[in-house]
Amino acid sequence: MFTAPRFALIVMTLLGGVFLLIYASLGVAKPLATWNWMDIVGEGGTALMSALWVMLVLTSRPSGRVTTLLAGGLLAIALGAWVDSLDEFFAIPKTQVWDNWLESLLMPGGMLTLTAGLFFWRQEQFSLNNHMRKRERLFREHRAFDRITQLADADYLRRQIRLEQARSPDQPCALILLDVNQFHRINRQYGQAEGDRVLQAISHLLLLNLRSDDLLCRYAGDRFAVLMPATTQDDASRMAHHLELCVRLLAHHTQTHGERLWISVRVACAVADQDADKLLDRLNARLELGPPSALEMAAAA
Amino acid sequence: MIPCYQTTTRFIPARYQAALLLEFAHSQDLDDQALFQGTHLDARAMLSEQALLTPGEYLQLLHNINQAAASRDTPFMLGQQLLPGHLGNLSHALLQARNLRQALDILIRYQAWLSPLLAPHLMTLGDKTALYWTDSCVTPRLRGFVVEMMMTAVSGMSRWLSGMRLPWQYRFNRTQPAYIEQYAVHLGTETRFNDYFDAMLIDAEWLDRPWPRGNEMTVTLALAAVEQQSPAEFCRQSLLAALYDYLAARIRLAPTLERTSADFGCSPATFKRHLAQHHTHFQAELDLARAHVTLNMINNQGYSNEQIAAYLGFHDANNFRRSFKRWTGLTPSMLRAHLLDSRVLE
Repeated sequence: MFTAPRFALIVMTLLGGVFLLIYASLGVAKPLATWNWMDIVGEGGTALMSALWVMLVLTSRPSGRVTTLLAGGLLAIALGAWVDSLDEFFAIPKTQVWDNWLESLLMPGGMLTLTAGLFFWRQEQFSLNNHMRKRERLFREHRAFDRITQLADADYLRRQIRLEQARSPDQPCALILLDVNQFHRINRQYGQAEGDRVLQAISHLLLLNLRSDDLLCRYAGDRFAVLMPATTQDDASRMAHHLELCVRLLAHHTQTHGERLWISVRVACAVADQDADKLLDRLNARLELGPPSALEMAAAA
Repeated sequence: MIPCYQTTTRFIPARYQAALLLEFAHSQDLDDQALFQGTHLDARAMLSEQALLTPGEYLQLLHNINQAAASRDTPFMLGQQLLPGHLGNLSHALLQARNLRQALDILIRYQAWLSPLLAPHLMTLGDKTALYWTDSCVTPRLRGFVVEMMMTAVSGMSRWLSGMRLPWQYRFNRTQPAYIEQYAVHLGTETRFNDYFDAMLIDAEWLDRPWPRGNEMTVTLALAAVEQQSPAEFCRQSLLAALYDYLAARIRLAPTLERTSADFGCSPATFKRHLAQHHTHFQAELDLARAHVTLNMINNQGYSNEQIAAYLGFHDANNFRRSFKRWTGLTPSMLRAHLLDSRVLE
């Protein structure tokens, strides 16, 4: 019925309004001359900012325990600060203690909840890092990720190659490029959406078959790249051959008719002992040399 | 009067070009509003049988989709789907083309429908044939995008219909982009930047290799049907493409703005205004035509500077040399070295 951000907004407005009413009815309005503007700005600002943080958290994260804790804690802090700032406008007789209770429950309670949220968020982050491990190495750049496969792009790859070369100059890393054979025919015959599904399937398959230190990128279109730190030419060739085999055994079924598609890739690999751009040029050219032209002719006939 | 279309002429069948854009936008989870921003169009009107677009609207749609998708592969993905397309008989003729030569002839003859924004032309360069593109209705900002899209379209079509990746070599009149990987995957590694034109070169022998689906009879019938169904007021070329052909044919006669505008059926002031709307002016178009005629003469006939200068009506070779440098950024001798260089590399 209500989305989480809208629900939070309603709760905040309602409770804020209720507190305002209580203060207005039980307290005595202070004269304008005695208002402490410094406190009003400070406490009111804290309330508004925390309310904004609630919305940012709720609109950016999927719902779940961590999100609820983070948003709940911030919401309590926002209300605590709001009550605090109401103090500046209304004088509550010293005989009444409820306002002290309200303040000292909301603020620390919010802080505690937020801390619990952050603690679980940290755990969540560890498990996400584990999940992202073969998709990113050494640094995070959220703009570099591809919408379809959630893999990093060519730009990220080039930077990683340079980084890896600079990090361990005497321990060469290896690079594998994989290109899907006849991918354009899948797009033509079954549509771009099916092509995207094939790319997703292949990226999952490749991720499962890599070591935890390897990095998989979507170079462009139907071409993938694997960066393998501290790897010799022999090991890279073996891995390339293995990945080629894996893809050949993949049974991909189309979404509409469940038809089995036979997918294969051709590979090129080399030790990254030269400039990243030149290396990629060389591997790209090698992939072009080896298209299965006889197969293409047979398929087209 | 020479008939031609302009950015505001309404003739592009929406159910082909715009429908492809709409489909692509949906596959990218973009909403229609982002696609139709700045136009008076909407999805329903777009898919009706008779809806027509102007080149200006088509450009705006491409601009919107490029902004919204914010991905470097957008022009390449769009290009892959563009040809042979969904234009009834015309697409059918392309699909059954006997060979590359026939497909390119159809593309050039029916460019208003198949490539309304960029005009394709053929030129022989020694033992190669170049398919090169000049502006029809593009803004300088979207030029690179449309070039990438159209080159991918022709490469994709020839690859599909011939059954193999053809050995095209690509030349671009632009600096090398940072996203070179898109060129490498979608077009190939035979790319050269900072060139004097946007062209795709191929050994002439590939033009006449028969294509597996080729069927002369179907092509003839389909094209006859296209001719019969095309509206009477239909223009085959854009203003700039018509002007390019007009100037190339009269290059020795020192064409003037006055004479040219009269032949295009308007006053010099109106003609100037039309050209300004296409982001160019008369002298620039004349220089372009002269540069291409010169390229042709150097490449094919091996003419000397003196001979070309005399042919184009320059006082002397020096004058010609300076002008050529202004048109292309290269002196004629640099161009000769450039050509030689590319042959050595091959």
